[in-house]
Amino acid sequence: MRTFFIIFLKEVKSFFLSPLAYVVMALFCLLNGWLFVTMVNAMRLKTTPTSLIYNLFNSGWFWMGFVILFPLITMRLFAEEKKMGTLEGLLTAPVRTSELVLAKYFAAVVVYIAIVSPVFFFFTLFQSITGEEAAFHSGAFWGTALGIFLLGLFNISIGTLASSLTSNQLIAAMVTFVGVMLHYFLGFIYNFGTVPGSQWTDALTYFSTREHMNALTEGLIDSRPIVYYLSFSVVLLAMTHHILESRKWRA
Amino acid sequence: MIQVSNLTKRYAGHTAVDSISFEVGKGEIVGFLGPNGAGKSTTLKMLTCFLSATEGTATVAGYDIYDNSINVRKHVGYMPENVPLYPDMRVKEYLTFRSRLKGLGFRDTKKAVNEAMDICSLSDVDSKIIGTLSKGYKQRVGLADALVNKPDLLILDEPTNGLDPNQIRQSRELIKRLGERHTILISTHILSEVEMTCGRVIIIDRGVLRASDTPANLVRRLQAAGNVSLEIKGDAEKAEEAIRKLPGVKDVVKEFQRSEWARLSISTDSNVDVREDVFGLVLKKKWNIRELVRHTASLEDAFVDLVHHPEGE
Repeated sequence: MRTFFIIFLKEVKSFFLSPLAYVVMALFCLLNGWLFVTMVNAMRLKTTPTSLIYNLFNSGWFWMGFVILFPLITMRLFAEEKKMGTLEGLLTAPVRTSELVLAKYFAAVVVYIAIVSPVFFFFTLFQSITGEEAAFHSGAFWGTALGIFLLGLFNISIGTLASSLTSNQLIAAMVTFVGVMLHYFLGFIYNFGTVPGSQWTDALTYFSTREHMNALTEGLIDSRPIVYYLSFSVVLLAMTHHILESRKWRA
Repeated sequence: MIQVSNLTKRYAGHTAVDSISFEVGKGEIVGFLGPNGAGKSTTLKMLTCFLSATEGTATVAGYDIYDNSINVRKHVGYMPENVPLYPDMRVKEYLTFRSRLKGLGFRDTKKAVNEAMDICSLSDVDSKIIGTLSKGYKQRVGLADALVNKPDLLILDEPTNGLDPNQIRQSRELIKRLGERHTILISTHILSEVEMTCGRVIIIDRGVLRASDTPANLVRRLQAAGNVSLEIKGDAEKAEEAIRKLPGVKDVVKEFQRSEWARLSISTDSNVDVREDVFGLVLKKKWNIRELVRHTASLEDAFVDLVHHPEGE
């Protein structure tokens, strides 16, 4: 536990000491701030059946920025250590591989929360400034926050795994990006037209981020996506652990 | 401190380390020699639990490298080849991180880091960013990292690689001083360094252990058939004949003759020094002499003799 915290703090610190953190945070805020204003304006001109939260978190605009976050946050985790050779230093110190994986993973989660949380702050800020009746209910707000958090846990574990596979950060980034994108696009499989009677479409849609988010943005907290994201994160982290350990016996 | 028995590392298609066994006692400074690709680094990585062996076992500081790898790592200070460091950290910050990671408490860390920086003369760069330091300083940061928690055993993989002659001399002094407190296993290419610092040498080649002895013994083994050179003025043929009759002389060969001076190479039986007899002969025959020397082999000769491969192999 002690070792976990030492590595965890070092990782968080090194992220916030690099300019990358601030560039990503600022641009993500800018992108979503603009999106927020546009949504509010659009709703003023025309009423929609869905809430402000639903509109924002179901727009392709948000997701474009969102999926790019994960490669940026996770690509350096292990790839950089491998490239520089510092992994050897870490793992010849009395550090368990599991402690290292978890420390790096949760450091990335903290960074992720720091980047994404301003978007939720927009909503509270908007309400306190305008003093208007909320354009959404708190169930939707917290449901969405939970969804985005779970999705973060899941996607960061994809990135952690990808980063442990290679010493090239760009490859790690690409693998993460494609993994996250594919998972998200499963939700659009209906748009490609369905074969009548085929169960594949339903099955794949069941896994899709979009499907889970639809429910959560309406304030419906379903336990299935919670179990799904958490258990998959654990599986991916276990794989990361085994990949790092495999250096011992692989050629 | 280290017991290695039949340690083997096999990769697909080739054997990097082939069943080597050796021991390193407490307080020893042992040089680990071998040509590039001989399996030195692989062996050291197995001893520090970064890689696992295909066969064989080893105990380090009394702990098995499989069953008790965390304890092994607690008692070993390892400096990997090429000294990987975090280039964006400051020297003191890095050493503090490493010392905490190795299990030192907050207060102990402060003291230990200052001590390590003192030993490695890093105090004047303690707040510099590692990436901006010169190679020599980086190497010292790596060494300070290895010894920060005062481990019983230091394993240094080519610690003087890429340093200039001055720095090599300094690091040699440093390693000698460290030898008073730690057991040291040091892998290197620089033989003069080993001759001066190490009490014992282990030579491996293509994964096979070739020798494990003191540098002096290795050299002596070579010197057994040592040569004596003699340069005299006068009739070389007669001299040759006379010397050949001396006890212990196996053969005499004329190397060259330049004007009146001739150089003779005298090969002798094992461990016989014929210089005195030769000089007696010179006095008796009243030859003019300008050189009489017995060639001493260096560790380099011993090394080349042990791991010599024909070209292209």
